[in-house]
Amino acid sequence: MLKFLKKVGDYAGEAVQAAKYIGQGLSVTFDHMQRRPVTVQYPYEKLIPSERYRGRIHFEYDKCIACEVCVRVCPINLPVVDYDFNKATKKKELKSYSIDFGVCIFCGNCVEFCPTNCLSMTEEYELASYDRHDLNFDSVALGRMPYKVTDDPMVTPLRELAYLPKGEMDPHGVPDGERRAGRRPEEILEELEGAQPHS
Amino acid sequence: MTSGIDLQGSFIRALIDLGLSPGVAKAIWIPLPLLLMLIGATIGVLVVVWLERKISAAAQQRVGPEFAGPLGTLQPVADGVKLLFKEDIIPASTDPWLFTIGPALVVIPVFLSYLIVPFGQNLNITNLGLGIFLWIALSSIAPIGLLMSGYSSNNKYSLLGGLRAAAQSISYEIPLALAVLAVVMMSNSLSTVDIVNQQTGYGILGWNLWRQPLGFLIFWIAALAECERLPFDLPEAEEELVAGYQTEYAGMRFALFYLGSYVNLTLSALLVAVLYLGGWEFPISIDWLTGLAGLDPATPWLQIITAALGILTVLFKTYLLVFLAVLLRWTVPRVRIDQLLDLGWKFLLPVALANLLLTAGLKITFPAFFGG
Repeated sequence: MLKFLKKVGDYAGEAVQAAKYIGQGLSVTFDHMQRRPVTVQYPYEKLIPSERYRGRIHFEYDKCIACEVCVRVCPINLPVVDYDFNKATKKKELKSYSIDFGVCIFCGNCVEFCPTNCLSMTEEYELASYDRHDLNFDSVALGRMPYKVTDDPMVTPLRELAYLPKGEMDPHGVPDGERRAGRRPEEILEELEGAQPHS
Repeated sequence: MTSGIDLQGSFIRALIDLGLSPGVAKAIWIPLPLLLMLIGATIGVLVVVWLERKISAAAQQRVGPEFAGPLGTLQPVADGVKLLFKEDIIPASTDPWLFTIGPALVVIPVFLSYLIVPFGQNLNITNLGLGIFLWIALSSIAPIGLLMSGYSSNNKYSLLGGLRAAAQSISYEIPLALAVLAVVMMSNSLSTVDIVNQQTGYGILGWNLWRQPLGFLIFWIAALAECERLPFDLPEAEEELVAGYQTEYAGMRFALFYLGSYVNLTLSALLVAVLYLGGWEFPISIDWLTGLAGLDPATPWLQIITAALGILTVLFKTYLLVFLAVLLRWTVPRVRIDQLLDLGWKFLLPVALANLLLTAGLKITFPAFFGG
């Protein structure tokens, strides 16, 4: 009998404990209700991509020497480089250059290895299209500059977390000129140069 | 206790004064409260859907529906209109009859249960002597509809969902009925109006919540399971069963399921308010307040204010419970099917039985407090 009563008591204790934990969970959920939404209201608000952002690739036609390094370093040999070899000058003359962004994985190898810096990463990420063939950018399309979020009058640009002033967690309402937390890259560079003995 | 406003009587009298025969006047009256309740329940659903989406969003630090109407209030209307215009598909290998009847069989009993929900002394469709028992009987029809639609869809997910829904509804019906039985025992009546009247007079202190704390918890858990709300939403667990018995449904037929589930949630919340939270009774007894102010409770303007306050009180309690249900949805993880049945049969059922026994004992020992 006593054993049975102990069992019932233990069971009731467990039930009460479970109820307590559910109550704790409820208080956590309830606490979340008064917090500000962390979401970015996308078409009206956009995050400013970081300077290391790997978006759509920009290409400068005049700088390209048609060396095809970008093709060789590309994991899938994606860039299509068409050129004629000019026998008189003994130089390659670029005819057309294209990258299919429907296939590109934005690894940035081509940008990294380009000997003339004619390739660069932009901050453009809105590449949706109705036809996948529209994503095959030729040299003209590749040469277009992306539209900056900060220049778009329809969009409220928001800074990413790492670019907010010290102690600030919410990008809403942070003034434009406000300095971000920590040192800026040029300051680090300056300090490094100052520390180095001039040879 | 005064009888309050007699809308039916005065409406019929007005029509008879206009020169109609008493029979015609009564026939004109009959569909009015039904229609009103149908519209009320549907609008209630729109509000609950909006609340669910907004509260869910707040709990997850999102904004939620924002652009359809002010604060997204028209979002459920937009959803409904979209479902209304969608193509009505009956998949090729289904049983078309069962497939069509299933959703109707789920929705109709839920709406029918609004017959017995009182918003005031005379503000209900019928004051059935059978009251709360009718609701329990009607809620047992829904699993048949769920099983029908699950079986007729000719889809494994649907069948599993339907079977789970049936198993769940059947096992949680019993603790639900036992919890109700304890309340009924205290008020000596199955009628919802009598159950509320038994709780009135002492404001918040007179509510059944204090006399039936266990019953309240059991009823609330079982009601959530009956509504297939999140801790117990196994029949439509999307990670396991796609959408359970709703998988093959689209358009208006799906809308019926959707509507049914939210009407059911509102109904359960209403019934918790009626059974345990004193129904239309204000936290401070109105009768006591008017007595303090030296007013006659039969004063017409006072009666109107009391009735309006009663409706608002019921709705406030209901939506408070709906809020709790939504909060629970984002707090508690889904249980497994064996845990669900364990909880129903091995925990709720014995506890509900013990609660019933305790209530009976207390009723005999303290007839003044537990209904003589």
